[in-house]
Amino acid sequence: MKKYSLLATGLLLLSHSLAAPLALAAEVDVDALIQEAERASYYSGNDGRSDARMMIVDNQGRKQLRQFTILRRDVSDNGDQQMMVFFSRPSDVKDTVFRVEKHVDVSVDDDRWLYLPALDLVKRISAGDKRTSFVGSHFYYEDVSGRAISEDTFVLQSDEADAYVLKATPKAPDTVEFTYYVVRINKTTKLPMEINFFKANGDNYRRVEAIKIEDIQGHPTVVRSKVSDLQTGGYTLMEFRNITYDLGLDDDVFSERSLRNPPQQWLN
Amino acid sequence: MKHITDNLVIFCTQKPKTVYVILAIIALFFCAQIPRIQIDTDPENMLDAAHPARVFHNDIKTRFAMHDAIVVGVVNNTDEAGVFTPETLTDIYDITASILSIDGVIATDLMSISTVDNITQSQPGTIRFEWMMPKPPQDAATSAQIQRNLARLPLLQDTLASQNGKAAAIYVPIKDKNESYNIAEQIRAKINQLDGTSDWYITGLPVAEDQFGYEMFIQMGIAAPLAGLTIFVLLFLFFRNIPLIIAPMIVAMSTVLITMGALIGLGYTVHIMSSMIAIFLMPIAVVDSVHILSEFSDRHKPGESLNDTIEEVIGHLFTPMLYTSITSSVGFYSLMLTPIPPVQVFGAFVGTGIILAFVITITFMPAYLSRMTDASLDKLQAVMHSQHGGSRIAQLAKGLGSVALRFKGLLVFGFAAVFAVSVWGISQIQINDNPVRWFKPDHEIRVADTVLNANFAGTYDAYIVLSAADSLMPLAELLNADRPESLNIWAQQQISQLASQPRNEQYQTLIINIEDALFSDVNPAEEVYFNTLLSTTENALSQSKAFQSPALLSYIEQLQAHLQASGLVGKSNSLTDVTKVVNRELRSGNDADYQIPESPQAVAQTLLQYQSSHRPDDLWHFVTPDFQQTLIWLQLASGDNQDMSQVIELVNEYVTQHPLPQNIDLNWAGKAYINVIWQENMVAGMLDSLMSAFVIVFIMMVLLFRSLVFGVLAMLPLTITITFIYGLIGIIGKDYDMPIAVLSALTLGLSVDFAIHFLERIREVYKQTQDLQATFTAMFDEPATAITRNALVIALGFTPLLFAPLVPYITVGIFLASIMAISALVTLLILPAVMTMARGIVFKPNEGVGHEKI
Repeated sequence: MKKYSLLATGLLLLSHSLAAPLALAAEVDVDALIQEAERASYYSGNDGRSDARMMIVDNQGRKQLRQFTILRRDVSDNGDQQMMVFFSRPSDVKDTVFRVEKHVDVSVDDDRWLYLPALDLVKRISAGDKRTSFVGSHFYYEDVSGRAISEDTFVLQSDEADAYVLKATPKAPDTVEFTYYVVRINKTTKLPMEINFFKANGDNYRRVEAIKIEDIQGHPTVVRSKVSDLQTGGYTLMEFRNITYDLGLDDDVFSERSLRNPPQQWLN
Repeated sequence: MKHITDNLVIFCTQKPKTVYVILAIIALFFCAQIPRIQIDTDPENMLDAAHPARVFHNDIKTRFAMHDAIVVGVVNNTDEAGVFTPETLTDIYDITASILSIDGVIATDLMSISTVDNITQSQPGTIRFEWMMPKPPQDAATSAQIQRNLARLPLLQDTLASQNGKAAAIYVPIKDKNESYNIAEQIRAKINQLDGTSDWYITGLPVAEDQFGYEMFIQMGIAAPLAGLTIFVLLFLFFRNIPLIIAPMIVAMSTVLITMGALIGLGYTVHIMSSMIAIFLMPIAVVDSVHILSEFSDRHKPGESLNDTIEEVIGHLFTPMLYTSITSSVGFYSLMLTPIPPVQVFGAFVGTGIILAFVITITFMPAYLSRMTDASLDKLQAVMHSQHGGSRIAQLAKGLGSVALRFKGLLVFGFAAVFAVSVWGISQIQINDNPVRWFKPDHEIRVADTVLNANFAGTYDAYIVLSAADSLMPLAELLNADRPESLNIWAQQQISQLASQPRNEQYQTLIINIEDALFSDVNPAEEVYFNTLLSTTENALSQSKAFQSPALLSYIEQLQAHLQASGLVGKSNSLTDVTKVVNRELRSGNDADYQIPESPQAVAQTLLQYQSSHRPDDLWHFVTPDFQQTLIWLQLASGDNQDMSQVIELVNEYVTQHPLPQNIDLNWAGKAYINVIWQENMVAGMLDSLMSAFVIVFIMMVLLFRSLVFGVLAMLPLTITITFIYGLIGIIGKDYDMPIAVLSALTLGLSVDFAIHFLERIREVYKQTQDLQATFTAMFDEPATAITRNALVIALGFTPLLFAPLVPYITVGIFLASIMAISALVTLLILPAVMTMARGIVFKPNEGVGHEKI
């Protein structure tokens, strides 16, 4: 009996997906969907804080721990953002700070600064490439700050029971290492649950997953995520704790002054 | 013993077909194993898999992800800008992209101008990470900028691009060495599609090994059959009787096939040493048959009983043949004392093969001879008797005899002088080897190797590994301090949960668990405990990261500077270089800031930036994530073990003068180092082999001749010969390498044969004549001819090795052929001279009358 029902479901799915693309394109507003997804992932509340714990595991199973607090403030929904990342562990890099001014306009580069306390040095990071490793983890800077949806062209691939599956192709292919990616967006939360990156030869070399979702102040929030390097077998787990939205963080918190003088009240 | 021998011969002559069938069945059984052949070309296997140096080397390779790599080089000497032109850089870009898509390539660790990062100051106060060559440059200015950018990064300059800009390299790490040929072929195919003016080269150890395996097959497929053919032609010249000489050929073939079949069947891989088994066994295996044929054709008279003659011949030759076989196999068996597995396997199988050849000879030869037709026998008689005393070989032997007897004083004095000079020559021997030189100078691999090492810092790798003692105390100890009883269960859980992890990871996880515990309900005492524990753990963890310490980085910096100044090392790369480059770019970007930061925290923060690149894992090539072990990568332009030994010596001296910081250990890894280790083992082991073979053969000689004097006499020619050959090696400056080392012990066992036969016959003849003059006259007739004939068979039997594609085979060929020829010559010249001069000791009346048959 079970076999039959599985088979039936399979057939249903198959016929559905075969018939889907044309019919669905009319039903689902892809633009609205990705805007919603972007809001759900990166713009919950007007501002927010969270303590992040990152466990980097390399292909030999060796582990490294990183801990930091993220403060974020939206200039506007789906628009520009300010962000501060304060490191607390390992203790050798304690008080290292990243400051980001994110601009959604593709023609304007994000502004990024770095403070290294032991070198007593504030440094601007030239935009260059955002797809470099975030402090040695398998996350890219872009995974932390959010890749602007305006950089890719999205096409609905399939409409499944609980998720929309979209294929994204970069508008400027020579600025990124992937040829395309496929993202599964949860229908209820609108959160991207799994993103698979592909090379030109169809090789799926990288995966970003949301592992655990919690409701925080009415916002479905990813509290545990994972990025895997499918080529080497290494991965990074990120866990968020003490998440709070709408704290009323003011401009000062995101100023250059905060690099050397962290706003303690929001960090503990 | 004699009884058994007689019965055996009688059985073999009466039931020849049974002997044929048994031999055929055995040979077929072992032949059936041959298709399972496994070729092994890894020079690392010269060391036992469990050898500590090798275990450490492999451990380091894994830990620091230093993979075996194919090296693709591109050189442009025609263009002014070298390889830094849009055309060549575009080719590099395209080739890199195609290589990245090849299965089996470790893409993340591939190093090419288009896959590495550039760290720069795009403007004052700004740091920039970007691809060195994100896309092919369109103009000369961009190409020149890439060259300048590379020149600013010490880790890449001279490794990815040559200083003069004429050459660039791509390092292609591969997952499985066995795929290297396949991958190299795919790369070659892509290169062939290019139409630029640059020259491309492919080398690297995996490719060399693969090529080596291929050449080994050629050697076995061509040189060994050629040796068979040479022997066949020689035998034909001696005996002019095809049916007769087929017999020794069958003995040789079945010996070789059974031995190789047994080697393969027992699961041993065929290494460069064992690939020579066939060519060694073939000439050795026919020698006994040649003795039998010689004596048989001498003794057999038409009309006499064939089987009686055979019995007589075998009975007569049994003991000397047994002894020569045993001494020969002792020479080979002594190789088993050398702690080099392929040499041991070679020694064991050739040694056993020689015994096997003896057994086949004394069973098959009688069987075969007993079935010879009268016509064949008559023809043989005709040839042998017409030749007798008149053949060139016989004349040569006679000539030697007159020289030996006329100039005995001069000869003895001459050989003594040669011996003395040779002993001095041996002290001049240069021990050295280099697996790349196993290829001929014009071989593709040698050419690529020469070109790349002329342009870059070096393609030979050695690693200095510095390890810090783990300063972290066991978890139980850490958790015990002032713990409230209420937390005993929690502490026990931590200990059992984390037991399987390395200590630094235990500490990291413990920090997470303490925080989680603090987050739940805790009483004030528990809170105090947790907070104290948290800071203790963090401090301990931070302090355990030894190689974040500026003092240690500075020690490495000075060691590197010392190595560079010596000129022995092309270039060295370390964690210190990484730290200094990033520090420079974080600060002013000027050379003045090419410094080690001042505190461990500053180092940690600098390296955190290095990890914010496209290749975050590059850091782990130089240090482990716990910062307790670091690797200094030395690039050497020469693969000579001698050069590597000098580097080791240099480092040892440096460490003596500048002691390592406390709790720091220094070790070595890397291919260049491993080669030195197995060479050292080989040299020491060979000395053991040579000494023990010498002693055993000497004892056997004393037993055989029942005379100490004859024992000494038997050892005399080979001692002079081996001393002379090795003295010559020292004097002409030929490197004492793997093949030359192996030859010493085994030639001892082979060259004593001539002395055995000569002395044995002298005793017999003297017993009959009781006159010195008459004895030597008789000796230089038939016996000297037989010895010369056998020396020619063995010496010429090895000459097909001269046509082999690999240098070690050629060396073996030249040396074995000359050792055999020279030791036969020395035997025939020195023994009569010495025996005449010392006749008072040698020939006591009625003594020296031959020994009892054993």
